[in-house]
Amino acid sequence: MGIKGVLRLLLFVFLLSATSGWAADIHGKSSTQLLWFNDFYNGRQIELGEYLQFSVTKLDKDGKFNIYGYGRGTQDLTNGEGLNGRLYYLYGDYRDLFDKLDVKLGRQFVNLSAGTTIIDGGQADLKNIGPVAFTVLGGRDVVFGIDGELSRDGNYALGMAAYLTGFRKTDLDVSWFRKWDEGDVSRDIVGGSFKQYLLDSVKLYSNARYDLTSEVFNEVLAGIKYFPTANLVLTGEWFQSYPTFDTTSIYSVFAVNRYQEGVVRADYTINENIAVNAGYSRQDYGEDGTADVYEAGCTLRPINTLTIGLAYDRHEGYGGHLDGGTFDVTWDATKELMLAGGLTVDAYNRDFFPTVSGDEIAQKYWLGAKYRMGRNMAASLRIEDDVNVTYNSNVQGRFVFDYSF
Amino acid sequence: MKRLLIVFMIFSFSAVYVQLAVAQKESHKDYAAMKIPECNSCHKSEGIALNHDVDWVRGHRVLASRGGANCNQCHDQAYCLDCHSGGGINADLQTQNYRRDYIPKSHRSDFLEIHPIKALDNPQTCTRCHDQKYCTQCHSQFRGTDLQFLSHRRQFRDISLSSVGPKHEIFNPTQCQTCHPGGILPSHKWAGDHATEARRNLQSCQTCHGDGDVCLKCHSARQNSGLRVNPHPRNWGSIKGNLKDKSNGRSCIRCHDSF
Repeated sequence: MGIKGVLRLLLFVFLLSATSGWAADIHGKSSTQLLWFNDFYNGRQIELGEYLQFSVTKLDKDGKFNIYGYGRGTQDLTNGEGLNGRLYYLYGDYRDLFDKLDVKLGRQFVNLSAGTTIIDGGQADLKNIGPVAFTVLGGRDVVFGIDGELSRDGNYALGMAAYLTGFRKTDLDVSWFRKWDEGDVSRDIVGGSFKQYLLDSVKLYSNARYDLTSEVFNEVLAGIKYFPTANLVLTGEWFQSYPTFDTTSIYSVFAVNRYQEGVVRADYTINENIAVNAGYSRQDYGEDGTADVYEAGCTLRPINTLTIGLAYDRHEGYGGHLDGGTFDVTWDATKELMLAGGLTVDAYNRDFFPTVSGDEIAQKYWLGAKYRMGRNMAASLRIEDDVNVTYNSNVQGRFVFDYSF
Repeated sequence: MKRLLIVFMIFSFSAVYVQLAVAQKESHKDYAAMKIPECNSCHKSEGIALNHDVDWVRGHRVLASRGGANCNQCHDQAYCLDCHSGGGINADLQTQNYRRDYIPKSHRSDFLEIHPIKALDNPQTCTRCHDQKYCTQCHSQFRGTDLQFLSHRRQFRDISLSSVGPKHEIFNPTQCQTCHPGGILPSHKWAGDHATEARRNLQSCQTCHGDGDVCLKCHSARQNSGLRVNPHPRNWGSIKGNLKDKSNGRSCIRCHDSF
């Protein structure tokens, strides 16, 4: 079902519901945006964009049926790219049919432990039938590119899941996800995830995806979080992946190495004003390709209205060398006015494109302000300047006017 | 005695597990407007770890993809798609753009330049938001000669024709056949290291060589069109039928006359 089909169907359902005489609630947000940026290939571009997000609720007496939508349209004003649109979702959601079934119909984001995508189709959740609940979903697979949709005829997605429900400290699910590319099966994955809280201070979790075509575990994650207090979380994780490709791609027949990663990290909220974190990852790409990644960060709130964020990470090993981080400040100057600014800096040297002159430096400086006009309107301006190997100065930004209804 | 101990342990673990598992999950709908630090007031006493910490971007995948995930009690789908698909209606001042698309914080500074390194921090990360076609849209505009990574460097350029002769760098690719008649490689920019690089990071090969034509110059099984170098993984014997059936032979026919 294409976009037009979805729209027609939802319009039909909407009109039917409207005839029932119940006053529907329509809420949402409109965001009108003027953007200016440098396109890598086409140079300076100025665009006018309109985002619209809405929900239509109380369409029936019990409030079980709602419609949700979100999309955007942009008009290029300088480079002749014209009108560009993206419909993120537009679906009708009927909940608690016979107190056992939730149904969503239309374009929507779907997410299973075996796979994720956007579909033009439907999802049904069967619940309240015991300790196990079920999900079935399927429809046309929607793929977004830089300038529009890249989906082709015969791109479909289908998935189903069974999961434990009602258990407060335990999650367990098994799912299956399949994609078609021009009518041929391109992906066929079984997934599962598990979570268990223990002793009020330990969380065990895992996640796995098994590629039925390549007969390998595409991804496996196992982790433990220990939180002796709610303010301190210690994490240990092991992750491995075996890259698999669409069966319709020639790359699906090539041998690849297994990627493995061990992570340890600590997140500590010292008090309401200071939170710190640090972590280390050891990465293994096979055949002696390894890298070490370190990261550290903190959030400071010296006064109630001021927040300072700092984040740093360092990659050393396979792939090259990267040292960089972010710094940002947000200040609620008044109840209506928020001011913010920050910078990001990276020093890097890539194995893939080595430079003999030493590290390249990339910097980005930005400033922003947001002013709230009453309860339902706000205007904001954000301007940034990039200084890097491509640009001595690349000023780009956006002006946004938001209206909530 | 040993059996008794095992039975006791199984019974104890089961009892603890049931005790932990039977309680119902709390709906978070009524708390959707709360600030994250305020969540501690409940979570602290319930033994449930906060999961909206600074590690959330990396760790939310498992939470969000599990069956019955309760994300929608506080968030609508726009919250997911603003990062995953470039939306931006709820972008805060910190949020950056790439062209008209809004991008998450992980895409900092000059991401076009640093993404080859960042993409290695778990090579699966990119494909969670981007289809391979997305990468190809940009990479297809590259000139092959811009690339300098190990397998693509012109390593023959420093090799002399003889102990006193000139180096290969004085020749251009169209002259290869003069001295190497029948040579199957059209230019001298391909080195043996490519196999290791490809096995470590095959996804990056695909971003530029989307249809794999360059691979087939050596790996095709057809006589007179390739070196017939077998590229398949070790378990090929057990999986080749799967690939053939599911792709309707679309991949196989690229290299084989019969399969």
